[in-house]
Amino acid sequence: MTLATPTKTALPPSEHEFADVIHRLEAGGAMLPDTPENLMQIIGLYKAYAVPMDFYWRDLLYIAEQVFLDPLPMFKYFISQEYLDLHNHYAGDDADLRIWRGEATAHPELLAFMEKGETFKMPKLFHHLWHDRINMEFAEECMRAMLWHRGMGGQFDPYLDSDEYKANADRAIKAYFKYNPLMLGLYKLFPDMFLEQCRQMSYYANLGLFWEIMAPVFFEMSDLYDEGKLTSVPEAMNFLVNGIFAIAGRPIYHHVYIRGECYEIIPKSKGFMWLYEAALPYVEAVFYRTSPFRGTKSYNAQAKQVPEDQKDFHFGILYADVFPVGTAGIPPTLLMQDMLHFLPPYLVEYYQKHCRGEDDTLIQLGISFQRSMYCVTSAVIQALRTALLYPLDDPNPKHLEANRAFFEAQLDRFKRPEARLRNIQKQDYR
Amino acid sequence: MLSTLIWLPIFGAALISLVPMNRSRLAALTIATLNLLWTLSLLWRFDLGTSAMQMQEVLPWLDSLGLTYTLGVDGLSLPLLALNSVLIWIVIYSSSEQIIRPRLFYVLTLLVCGGIAGAFLAQNLLLFVLFYEVELIPLYLMIAIWGGQKRDYAAMKFLIYTAVSGVLILVGFLGLTWLSGSSSFDYNAVSPSNLPLNAQLILLTILLVGFGIKTPLIPLHTWLPDAYVEASPPVAILLGGILAKLGTYGIVRFGLQLFPETWTLVSPGLAIIGVVSVLYGALTAISQTDIKRMVAYSSIGHMGYVLVACAAGTQLSLLGAIGQMVSHGLILALLFYLVGVVEAKVGTRELDQLNGLLNPIRGLPLTSSLLVVGGMASAGIPGLVGFVAEFLVFQGSFSTFPIITLLCIIASGLTAVYFVILLNRTCFGKLDNDTAYYPQVTMREQTPALVLAALILFLGVQPTWLLRWTEPTTNVMVAALTTNHVEQVALNDQPTMSGFQTPTFRN
Repeated sequence: MTLATPTKTALPPSEHEFADVIHRLEAGGAMLPDTPENLMQIIGLYKAYAVPMDFYWRDLLYIAEQVFLDPLPMFKYFISQEYLDLHNHYAGDDADLRIWRGEATAHPELLAFMEKGETFKMPKLFHHLWHDRINMEFAEECMRAMLWHRGMGGQFDPYLDSDEYKANADRAIKAYFKYNPLMLGLYKLFPDMFLEQCRQMSYYANLGLFWEIMAPVFFEMSDLYDEGKLTSVPEAMNFLVNGIFAIAGRPIYHHVYIRGECYEIIPKSKGFMWLYEAALPYVEAVFYRTSPFRGTKSYNAQAKQVPEDQKDFHFGILYADVFPVGTAGIPPTLLMQDMLHFLPPYLVEYYQKHCRGEDDTLIQLGISFQRSMYCVTSAVIQALRTALLYPLDDPNPKHLEANRAFFEAQLDRFKRPEARLRNIQKQDYR
Repeated sequence: MLSTLIWLPIFGAALISLVPMNRSRLAALTIATLNLLWTLSLLWRFDLGTSAMQMQEVLPWLDSLGLTYTLGVDGLSLPLLALNSVLIWIVIYSSSEQIIRPRLFYVLTLLVCGGIAGAFLAQNLLLFVLFYEVELIPLYLMIAIWGGQKRDYAAMKFLIYTAVSGVLILVGFLGLTWLSGSSSFDYNAVSPSNLPLNAQLILLTILLVGFGIKTPLIPLHTWLPDAYVEASPPVAILLGGILAKLGTYGIVRFGLQLFPETWTLVSPGLAIIGVVSVLYGALTAISQTDIKRMVAYSSIGHMGYVLVACAAGTQLSLLGAIGQMVSHGLILALLFYLVGVVEAKVGTRELDQLNGLLNPIRGLPLTSSLLVVGGMASAGIPGLVGFVAEFLVFQGSFSTFPIITLLCIIASGLTAVYFVILLNRTCFGKLDNDTAYYPQVTMREQTPALVLAALILFLGVQPTWLLRWTEPTTNVMVAALTTNHVEQVALNDQPTMSGFQTPTFRN
């Protein structure tokens, strides 16, 4: 699918604060201006993000399916070979839908990094303790954001409170602790605590399945860019929109493997779809909402610096102040650190030329990441518009007005001063 | 021997005017380095056991006028000579490679260096005035050429004040010599002790006003904020770090040392002027929003400590006064240098615009850290050279002027207040996304600040290296004072350097 680009808008100019951006969206573009520099940054970042993401989704599924309710999950980041070899359903020869032309197993750059890290080859435990590894803390923070905000639409989340889910979880919990009377006793005493942990595991699975798709999408975009087949920001966004629709129906489920037996806590047969149960809640929770990271900035809740209503939270990457975030040892910084290891050479060279070069690459790539996530959000907005409203080249002015109202409503969320939409319009925001 | 410290920079300045423009910095740096090494060799050869003038050089010049080329160094002038050499090296090293008219800048800097060294070394009153005046025009030009927006105004104000200061000093010296009936202007040939008390008082007052302008003291200070703020950072270092010391040096050498009897009469008034300077400097600094102006006003306060200590006239307070001159020179140079770096990189000195410079990735983390060190040293935090000097000043002055000393101690607390304001607003907080694209501070740019911070720290933990040169000289000065000051409260009757290191408390 390619978004139609009207030659001339039939509507009078928008009077919205972000009128230029709205006109760009109406013309089939993205919130991010279409410049070669922006394209290079976002594609380079997709590639750098996709490699650690290849680890994130594998480990998230490993934790959800294998570690499960281990009360002392000290080795949850020590992913098994089985999960490294796990075939991505959207890459490789046996893919359900081949999005990326590469291998289905873990990415070679990822495997090479896991072996040596930044330092040198040594036992995994030392790499782990030295933080010379892929940092799962970011992935878990995203999962927690989804779990904590909940209620962001879809059927998946309400299902976690259903009797059916509780019964499935109960079976899995009892099986998991079959030979552990202490934990079974605790479960008897505090069933809700175990159920909540189980819900968290379901969100591990949810996010793992979401990223299983996004990693090959990003790899493919990077390859297309390298081949000269992605030449503009709208093309990149269209690729994402097409990807979203192509895989929208991918099932979201949660299976747990206990002593060789599979327990379907959320069976595939429930029909939870990737787009509505994973992608949209993820974008809402992680891109828009999340929560303030400790150690970055003090917020005075009594002075209403933290919104009373969770839906008004605005601490996600689209609002993030990358400077303080980039200097604190918190999950987004750890993500930047992860991406730093896999930057394509052209982006390394680009960062060397700006600001402080190597010394502030983390900040620069953080801001590129922000740009790239605005592109992803644009794709989601366009996808929603496609699904819910009218084509961009619809001849009916009322339909175009409806589209505009939709775009304006979406951009209203960026009116608050923390939003970086204004910043990314300028190329010198680095 | 001593002449080298005067003529090496002056001949060096002449030489630089001949070398190609692009080599002038290297040539100036070489001369400053040689000058510094020569000063270090003086320290090596200086006899710590005597209070007499050492390494004297005497050459007849205009005998009929009583002007001889007589040089000498003692415990008062040696630390200031060392300070002069260090700061000149720092000034030349820290000057920008893109500075306009570099040859002229280095020529003038070296002329100032030679002039100040000559003033510290001169043992003849007229010779002192000659060298004292030598630095006037070069510094005027340095403010007027390389200064800020109001440089012409600031330079002219500086010129007028300093010229008046020079005239007053010349008048004082002429009056002293003629009234005492001496045929020579040599220090040891002039003695006002036979003059009537009124004449002594008038002469001392003239000299104190002359040197008070240079220091500067309240209410003769109004040239200082403009000159310090409008001058470029290297010139501000020259002004605050070295030139101001000529004023305090003159107060000690020609006030306290030449007029010991009269000194005790005027000392309470001087102490009051001193404490007013201290409080005024601190309180005015608190109200500033320009960090350079804040540092400039802090200088007035810190020079006030020197006057209070000189007025007290005890062995410890005089040690503290000389220590404070050196300490203040180093700390002020560090602060002015860092403020210059901040201004060059961030583009502003305004407190309400600066923020978050300690940010390790996009800020100026090392510069900010050194600014914290400079602020701590200025506030007299133990372990840094500012503490040593201020502690000696307070300890030595308390027995003579207890209330004034207590006010000084309160003012040192106020120093901490404005430096906390400065550091809190400048270094801490959140770096602003929209503006934080500052260029990185290079290692070459960090070096002067690192050298100064290292000296501040070293002399803070090894204060004997600051004070050992001075003690015999201050002992003699105190002995010459006619009044008997109340003995030190906590220290022995004859406090010495060793006494400072390990105080002996009375039972």
